[in-house]
Amino acid sequence: MENVIEIKNLVKQYKELKAIDDLSFEVKKGEILGLLGPNGSGKSTTINCILSLLNYNNGIIKIFGKEMKPDSYDIKSKIGVVFQDVSVFDELTVYENIDYFCGLYIKDKETRKKYVEDAIELVGLKDFKKFYPKKLSGGLLRRLNIACGIAHKPELIFFDEPTVAVDPQSRNNILDGIKTLRDNGATIVYTTHYMEEVEILCDRVIILDKGTILASGTTDELKELARIEEKVTVEVNNLDDKYIENIKSNNNVDEVTYDGNTLLVTYIEGKNNLVDMIDYLKKESIKYNKIYSERPTLNDVFLELTGKELRD
Amino acid sequence: MFIHNFKYSLKTLFRNKMLIFWTFAFPIILGTLFNLAFSNIADTEKFDIIDIAIVNNDDLENNEAYKTVFKQLSDESSEDRMFNTKYVSEDEAKKLLENDDIVGYMKLEGETPKVTFVKSGTNQTIFKYVVEEIAQRSNMLSNIVEHEMKESVMPENINTEEILHKANELAQNNEIKLKNISNKNLDYMMIEFYTLIAMACLYGGILGMVAINQNLANMTNQGKRISISPMNKAKLLISSLLAGYVAQLVGLALLFVYTVFVLKVDYGNNVGLIILLSMVGSFTGLSMGVAVASLVKASDNAKSGILIGITMLGCFLAGMMGVSMKYVIDKNVPIINKLNPANMITDGFYSLYYYDTLDRYYFNVASLLIFAFILIAISFFSLRRQKYDSI
Repeated sequence: MENVIEIKNLVKQYKELKAIDDLSFEVKKGEILGLLGPNGSGKSTTINCILSLLNYNNGIIKIFGKEMKPDSYDIKSKIGVVFQDVSVFDELTVYENIDYFCGLYIKDKETRKKYVEDAIELVGLKDFKKFYPKKLSGGLLRRLNIACGIAHKPELIFFDEPTVAVDPQSRNNILDGIKTLRDNGATIVYTTHYMEEVEILCDRVIILDKGTILASGTTDELKELARIEEKVTVEVNNLDDKYIENIKSNNNVDEVTYDGNTLLVTYIEGKNNLVDMIDYLKKESIKYNKIYSERPTLNDVFLELTGKELRD
Repeated sequence: MFIHNFKYSLKTLFRNKMLIFWTFAFPIILGTLFNLAFSNIADTEKFDIIDIAIVNNDDLENNEAYKTVFKQLSDESSEDRMFNTKYVSEDEAKKLLENDDIVGYMKLEGETPKVTFVKSGTNQTIFKYVVEEIAQRSNMLSNIVEHEMKESVMPENINTEEILHKANELAQNNEIKLKNISNKNLDYMMIEFYTLIAMACLYGGILGMVAINQNLANMTNQGKRISISPMNKAKLLISSLLAGYVAQLVGLALLFVYTVFVLKVDYGNNVGLIILLSMVGSFTGLSMGVAVASLVKASDNAKSGILIGITMLGCFLAGMMGVSMKYVIDKNVPIINKLNPANMITDGFYSLYYYDTLDRYYFNVASLLIFAFILIAISFFSLRRQKYDSI
């Protein structure tokens, strides 16, 4: 498949700090690539370098097969960006903001009008067209931020943590909108430190830390990197130490933690663990409130790779 | 896209309350306060003839300028009479001053006037102002005459003093290029309004600064979004600045309308030239905003503070908070006012009001344009950068 973005040996250094260290990756046409990493891992810096906003020390960045420069207007006309910080004018209404940013790309007034209406529809701001940004809630403001970035129907869209500090309803709306954009043929680079979003949205994921790639692949491929295959959680009060020791003695168990209310057991292999645990609890007449099983998440992968949580 | 950006830049500027206050409302509020303060002074002083003394010595006898002007300003038959002047010896003048019979006296030492007061007040300020005005004008007249003598072949037996004497005779007949000093012309409130317009012109710098900041990726989030658009950066900046300039001219027009029709300020007959100077002044203000936005590495608020601070200081030195400041600076540190755009604007208006020739006016217009283009040229090197080390 055709590469929309090609990055080779990208290096960006801020004095002593290497924000991006020899980064190389590609983004295929029509895919959603997730850049996953904790704060300060280099996600936004990578995007700013790709967009030619930041100088970089070394490397080659190509978009649509051409080297990206500040005056690459033909390339820029096909790109949309949703920045992490809300980038709209407080003095313009919702409609005016979208129309203004769309107008930097689309000359024809009629086309632009249609595109603006489409964007408003996509992010669900139809009832707020005449509102000024200060009158919008955080979630609605984020949706406006997205509409301003995608109204001109770009072929390549960068989403830089678009759901930070957003309520669940707006988050779902945003994620649905991004899926629609992908279905309409856009190539998307999505940065986040929320692994759930990456798991829902992305075809491929790159895990970044300290400006380097720790791992990349599909979510399933990455999960295989985790040492564990299953996690079983039991909500149980006042569990005696002897039971915990018994569970630990199972060869398939990797780790057992208990905080007085929740028992968390991780397993190296993921077969029949939930059933076995229920049987054991019954046999020992231990009363519990809730029990459930989970597959490892990307956070477990990240933990495995770096020894720290994604949100650290 | 140029018009699209221009239209929306104009909208954002006109809807920005902070900008509207500083560029539109603040000058009007200040103008109203000036009017309240100075119209009272003007009314109070209207019928108050100021008692002064002039030391009658040989230096005065030989100086036609001081003799003629004070004679005119003390003419009992004139409606514009300003002074009740006693020509006395220095000892008598001192005695009169001690007894509070006069507000002060002037003694010429050579060509240098020395004014003595024991108290400070409006009458003393006016007296001092008139003396300094005569000194400045007679000095300028001497310079003009000397210059003309050097430029053309003049008979060597005609001396400067003689020409000056003739020039003063002409002044009495209203045939000389310099207007004579009368009570009307001495309306120092006008200088306050000139500096007010200068301030309004220079406050337009805030509009220029905002217009630039909105387009810079390292300054605002909107700037980041605009910078990644396919619109040419130069086009963006020029259309945004043009919007800032138009907004500024609208603000100035409001100020003019308000001062003329509400405050009844008489700007004289040169409306076209006043508009031209205001437009050039506004352009200079805009260029200051561009320079601060592009060259100063600070937050938006800090940049606004710097710009307002520079403007207020410039206006203060140009005489906004006291007419005498302009003369103090002109006399002691003339280079400051030569480089002070607020003074260039004020002085341009002043020259329109006081002189029949336009040389000084055009000198100020040219100075403002040069000042503005230098700032824009310096800013250009910073603005042409399209990538940043950090944002």
